[in-house]
Amino acid sequence: MQASAVLGCGRHLPSRKVTSDELARDLGATAAELTERTGIPVRYYAEPGIGPSDLARDASAAALGAAGLAPTDVDLIVFATMTPDIAFPGSGCFLQHKLGCDTVGAIDVRAQCAGFLFALATADRFVRAGSARRVLVACAEVHSTALERAPRAAAITPRFGDGAAAVIVGARSEPGVIATVLHSDPSDLEQWWCEFPASRHHPARMTRAALEAGRHYYQLDADALRPRAEAALADVTAEVLERADVPVDRVALFLVHYLDPRVARAAAARAGLPAERVVATAEIAGHVAAAGIPIALADALAAGRLRTGDLVCCTAFGAGISWGGVLLRV
Amino acid sequence: MTMSETVNSRILGLGHYLPERVVTNDDLTHVMDTSDEWIQQRTGIRERRFIARDTGGADLGAVAARDALAAAGVKAADLDLLLVGTLSPDVDVPGNASFLQRNLGIRGMPVMDVRNQCSGFLYMLAVADSFIRSGGARYVLVVGAEIHSTGLDLSTVGREVAVIFGDGAGAAVLGPEPDPRRGIFSVHLHSEGRYAEKLMVEAPSSKVSPRVTEDMLEDPGSRLWPRMEGRYVFKHAVTRFPEVIQEALAANGHTIADLDLLIPHQANLRISQMVAMGLDLPEEKVFNNIQRYGNTTAASIPIALHEAVEQGRVKPGALVCLAAFGAGFTWAAALMRW
Repeated sequence: MQASAVLGCGRHLPSRKVTSDELARDLGATAAELTERTGIPVRYYAEPGIGPSDLARDASAAALGAAGLAPTDVDLIVFATMTPDIAFPGSGCFLQHKLGCDTVGAIDVRAQCAGFLFALATADRFVRAGSARRVLVACAEVHSTALERAPRAAAITPRFGDGAAAVIVGARSEPGVIATVLHSDPSDLEQWWCEFPASRHHPARMTRAALEAGRHYYQLDADALRPRAEAALADVTAEVLERADVPVDRVALFLVHYLDPRVARAAAARAGLPAERVVATAEIAGHVAAAGIPIALADALAAGRLRTGDLVCCTAFGAGISWGGVLLRV
Repeated sequence: MTMSETVNSRILGLGHYLPERVVTNDDLTHVMDTSDEWIQQRTGIRERRFIARDTGGADLGAVAARDALAAAGVKAADLDLLLVGTLSPDVDVPGNASFLQRNLGIRGMPVMDVRNQCSGFLYMLAVADSFIRSGGARYVLVVGAEIHSTGLDLSTVGREVAVIFGDGAGAAVLGPEPDPRRGIFSVHLHSEGRYAEKLMVEAPSSKVSPRVTEDMLEDPGSRLWPRMEGRYVFKHAVTRFPEVIQEALAANGHTIADLDLLIPHQANLRISQMVAMGLDLPEEKVFNNIQRYGNTTAASIPIALHEAVEQGRVKPGALVCLAAFGAGFTWAAALMRW
């Protein structure tokens, strides 16, 4: 059976840098308090009218360039986002057009913060099954438009940022996607969700009462989520390494993806990972959900922290609740 | 099971569920200026189902899924992957697959939404097929579920779109098939985002802040409601449907004469009829049930396939083609031997 590998990686962050100072007045706290509460000092916001597919176009062009491929070489798009350009159709369709791909399939997947891992696993399976040869996995989020600018959101809004990254997954005899582990457990998923619009709400999916109560903004109980995130990220690291039969010391870099970088680092410590080989993805540009891991991957490659042939372990935990891990040889 | 034993994936069991509340064309004439004759002439639809109280696609989907699991003889806890297709999610975040997982009382296995509108079921079939054939999963549950009724402008302003859609869910359990002559032969996926805005719901949009406003609740032309350039969509549908059906047949060395049954996504009876005519397919080789359910987007194909099986129209050994076209634009076809 054909194996798959990451052939190229690229990322794109919007140019508008948003500091905690800028958020402080609306959120009714000082910049120091916001940073202390969330662990996130800086994030980037897309300009009005810019959607995930726009950010993903630039990231995808970079990934294709790194792989030495053209948009027409792609025979499948897998797009992961929890913040689509519009309600429907999905952002993958917009990307197909904006990038100038052939009329190939564009699968729009939703697995929230673990979206990259789910999308990568999907691409890997298409390549292994011989159903696709070169898959563009695009991940992008524009969270900024779903964030409330009010004191009650002071522990939520500073965490999130906008951004995109993409990888090209292609057939290769030497496996690059070495092991993948995915999990979901819906228990207490309301600890991190966004309720409205809610099609299940009869007779109308959006109401004045929901709007007034702010139920169309992200709701997050980070304190309640923390122990579960920490345990799951530690456990899934062990699980993916065990599946690949690779010890911790052979892995060049661990990308740990969670909306609180301090929890990500605590999970890494609990898993026995050396701190100098851990990247808490949210430290780069806040929590960018589906895009956080590939942004960190592209940065690590660009900075020379990862070299060809290195092993990198990526883990994520987030809304759904969904989490997982993947071991890659880059 | 070693991977070499799995040649194809196969649909092992099906289920579907429609809400009990029937809404006839005459019922719609009480809230908008329309008529039974106008709706039937353009779409073939006589009635559709709407939920009558708070109900999610994951609720309808769970009923369909339990039937599909029972028919397949697979326990929910033995599923390796759960996929849900919808364009009318229960909540904004997370996806419906999480709520379906909760409703089925299972945990641990990965769940994921596949958001490909009217082509959603076939897109999910392609994902499930690749996981199974590559040894990444043994049993995959695939559910298409929609609650359209809470997002339709049920007034004269919105009538052109509102009369078309209905609520419902359909489910399939897929598993490995060692016999190369049986199961899913191939799934063909396409998209063309150039036409994304010809059939869409714009709000909530992450490009716009705030994503939802008070104006949207009042505005008769609200961006919360679906918009469709009907004639445009129709024209592309009657081109892409036959094209992708022929692609699936040709990829497997078959011609239209070999086909025992075509199940098109139930978008509009007039589209299905024109596609059948263009392909020279006699009426008995095309299955339609849009007359009773309207367009249930991601749910329409599994609902129709299950009814066709129940009615004895899909016999063992039958060559079956599933095909879809819709918002995106996306379109797709799957060819399988029952």
